[in-house]
Amino acid sequence: MSTQRRRPAALLPVVLLLAAAAAAQAPPPGPAGPPPPKPRVFVDWPGGDLAALQAEAPFVEFVADLASANVLLAVAPAGPAASGAFTLAFTGKGPFQGDDNVLPFAPDPGATPGEAARGLAGAVKLGLLRYAAKTPVAADLAVTFLDQAKPTSVNDKWDFWVFSLSANTFLNGETQYRSGSYYASVSADRVTPALKIQTRAYGNWNDNWFDLGGGAVYESATHGYGGSALVVKSLSDHWSAGGFLEAESSTFSNLRLSLTAAPALEYDLFPYSESTRRQLRLLYRVGLTRARYYEETVYLRTAQTLLQESLDIAYKVVRPWGKAEARVKGSHFFHDFSKNRLEIEADLEFRIWRGLSFQIEGGYSRIRDLLSLSAEGATLEEILLRQRQLATGHSYSFSVGFNFSFGSTRSNVVNPRFGNGGRSFHMGM
Amino acid sequence: MKKPSGAAPVLAVLSFLGLFLPSPARPQDRPDIDELKKTALKVFLDCDYCDLEYIKTEITFVNYVRDRLEAQVHVLISTQATGGGGTEYTLTLIGQNDCRDIQDVQTYYSVKTDTRDDVRRGLVKALKLGLMSFVARTPIACRIAVDYAPPERPIEVRDRWRSWVFSLSGDGWFSGEKSYSRRMLNGSFSANRVTPGSKLRLGLFADRKKERYEFENGAGGTDTFTGVSSSWDASGTWVKSLGDHWSAGVFLEAESSFYRNIDLSLRIAPAVEYDFFPYSQSTRRQLRALYTLSLNPISYREETAFGKLRETLLKEELSLTLELREKFGTISLNAEGSNYLHDLGRYRIDTFGSLSLRLYKGLSVSFFGGYTWYHDSQLSLRLRQPTYEELLLRLVELPMNSNYFVSVGFEFQFGSIFTNVINPRFGSPRRGGMSFRFF
Repeated sequence: MSTQRRRPAALLPVVLLLAAAAAAQAPPPGPAGPPPPKPRVFVDWPGGDLAALQAEAPFVEFVADLASANVLLAVAPAGPAASGAFTLAFTGKGPFQGDDNVLPFAPDPGATPGEAARGLAGAVKLGLLRYAAKTPVAADLAVTFLDQAKPTSVNDKWDFWVFSLSANTFLNGETQYRSGSYYASVSADRVTPALKIQTRAYGNWNDNWFDLGGGAVYESATHGYGGSALVVKSLSDHWSAGGFLEAESSTFSNLRLSLTAAPALEYDLFPYSESTRRQLRLLYRVGLTRARYYEETVYLRTAQTLLQESLDIAYKVVRPWGKAEARVKGSHFFHDFSKNRLEIEADLEFRIWRGLSFQIEGGYSRIRDLLSLSAEGATLEEILLRQRQLATGHSYSFSVGFNFSFGSTRSNVVNPRFGNGGRSFHMGM
Repeated sequence: MKKPSGAAPVLAVLSFLGLFLPSPARPQDRPDIDELKKTALKVFLDCDYCDLEYIKTEITFVNYVRDRLEAQVHVLISTQATGGGGTEYTLTLIGQNDCRDIQDVQTYYSVKTDTRDDVRRGLVKALKLGLMSFVARTPIACRIAVDYAPPERPIEVRDRWRSWVFSLSGDGWFSGEKSYSRRMLNGSFSANRVTPGSKLRLGLFADRKKERYEFENGAGGTDTFTGVSSSWDASGTWVKSLGDHWSAGVFLEAESSFYRNIDLSLRIAPAVEYDFFPYSQSTRRQLRALYTLSLNPISYREETAFGKLRETLLKEELSLTLELREKFGTISLNAEGSNYLHDLGRYRIDTFGSLSLRLYKGLSVSFFGGYTWYHDSQLSLRLRQPTYEELLLRLVELPMNSNYFVSVGFEFQFGSIFTNVINPRFGSPRRGGMSFRFF
């Protein structure tokens, strides 16, 4: 008991130590006062062509007097005088305190004086953007890249292969209840625009312990293992071909081991390059599976070989009004066409009018293909703890939500006092 | 090897700029863009809530890397809720390697009515502007255009709502199959007024959950078990700012909960808080100590283990919270101690921590966990024993000395450092994962 009491007290020095470490490397001092409408720039460039700079950067105000400026730009020749090279030193003042930068500039050796001046003005413009970004002018600026560069134009000694090992545990308990989950995986991926290779192997284990009172205890454990490999070759802007290899073992599904090989073909109605805005993908797949079961199934099998085909249609669109996703998937086995499944899923986030938005998400499955269902059935505890696949002809989930906000919804005030209520984080596995 | 001397890269950049900068005038001399891309700025994007695929397809004049130590700029994006119900995104751009002399902080605000497309476009714009100070040092800068289109007339900003924000929400979840179904409903209303000088939050929340299980009984028939639980809560918080480090205020709350055997509990609790860091740094670091003294009349649904149906409790509570968002990761620690004043032996200590650290190249660990010591502080426990089903489905609170949860994870990645490529073909395999939310 006494050791338990000491433990929380021991946390305090740790907290203070961490805080002190953070305070030692405090961030730069914050801006003093509200942002000005435009950065006011004083240029220190004896004999320089100020007019060219003014024409190139109309989003700042060039001032003649040092005292009223909040950005100082010193343009100084660098290297031999004939080279035309300059050093641009930017120094922030007042609201831009601490925003300093030095940019080197040297013109093309064969450049005409006009080209060199334009190049210098271009460098000044880029250097001034960080200040403009902190003023209301930012709303009227657009930065664009004039080219399309391949994402693979990099010097990469690993040739785009990425390997990953990960492990996670989650343990939870109180006096009459304990549970543990463990998860581990390894993966090796190589993703380029022309070819996508993703392989991984995983295992998960779960256990539960209940003290039912009067000396009675209920304990249970479940586990699953598996692996998968996906290879996709890009054929064109709309077509892809590839295949899946999968292995799975699961106590929930009564699968001792299933091995699947499935070639597949995909067509995207929209070019793949628009995928973050919209996609409508049709994926057709034929899979050959060899399955062995832990317990005899309701169809009196302990092992079988199965051929299955499936069509998966996925639609996704992200627009200023919101987001919509929909998916329809149908599959059947060839040895008995009545062993089939149809799944429908949809997700819609929709801003109807200013502060009023709706969210609807749902799915329905018509299930006629539970070939691995154990003939033995499940105990009461296995049902309540959802440790077994149960016989069913359908499953559904549906959620709907709305939010209506009005008032000063454009207020940007941050007030962290007494906490901001609610914190979330995600742990990927 | 990994630490360039500093001057040499700058000189290299200088010579590149010299070769390519004035190119628009002579398109026939335009440098090979794929060669320029090889020397483009290396960026590490450190953001948990961003649409990274979108950012990578919109900003293609930099190279994205998987490991923070490889990057020339570490973009650390931290978020905080704004008074209007939106989000403040603070983009801290930290120069590294040959750019370690540049630092910048840019801010982007989303408003509550923004859709995720509005947010990702706004964030990309702020990121582009912030990256320019760094990109200007790389040869690819010559291929970047900046357009300025001043508005016809300035937009007038006048707040007729005087900082008040109202929000009404409702949600329902339904799921099931042949022998199982579950239904959850909740609704909430809030009215908030947040200014730098004070904060007022009013809220109403109610939820109801129903689960139904069917199972075969020994006699060949079917039995059904239905579990229902519900709760509601009305609360108000008022906080006055007293300088850069101090705040004072009061919590008001009324609630009811099936799980905790509470028919109606009322609470009034004055409180005072001290932040060891100035509140203005809150998006990156906070160490807040909050002391609360509450007066709490309660009536119970069923007789408690102490033979009470109603009572009035006086409780004091001290809470210490540390939140850090640094280059090496995120740390969040919380410790709370509370005790009843009528019996100092009845106290409770609650600790919670979450860490997500990038320890070394490619190696990251995550931890979160909590431990609660109850010390006879569960005054609302039911006198009767829970049923077997209530026990398995955890519908009612059970007596305990302590309660814990802990999770540890690690990941080691090696191989290519670049993450520029987006390939949506055949979809992306579903990665397992868990999301948690704590209040």
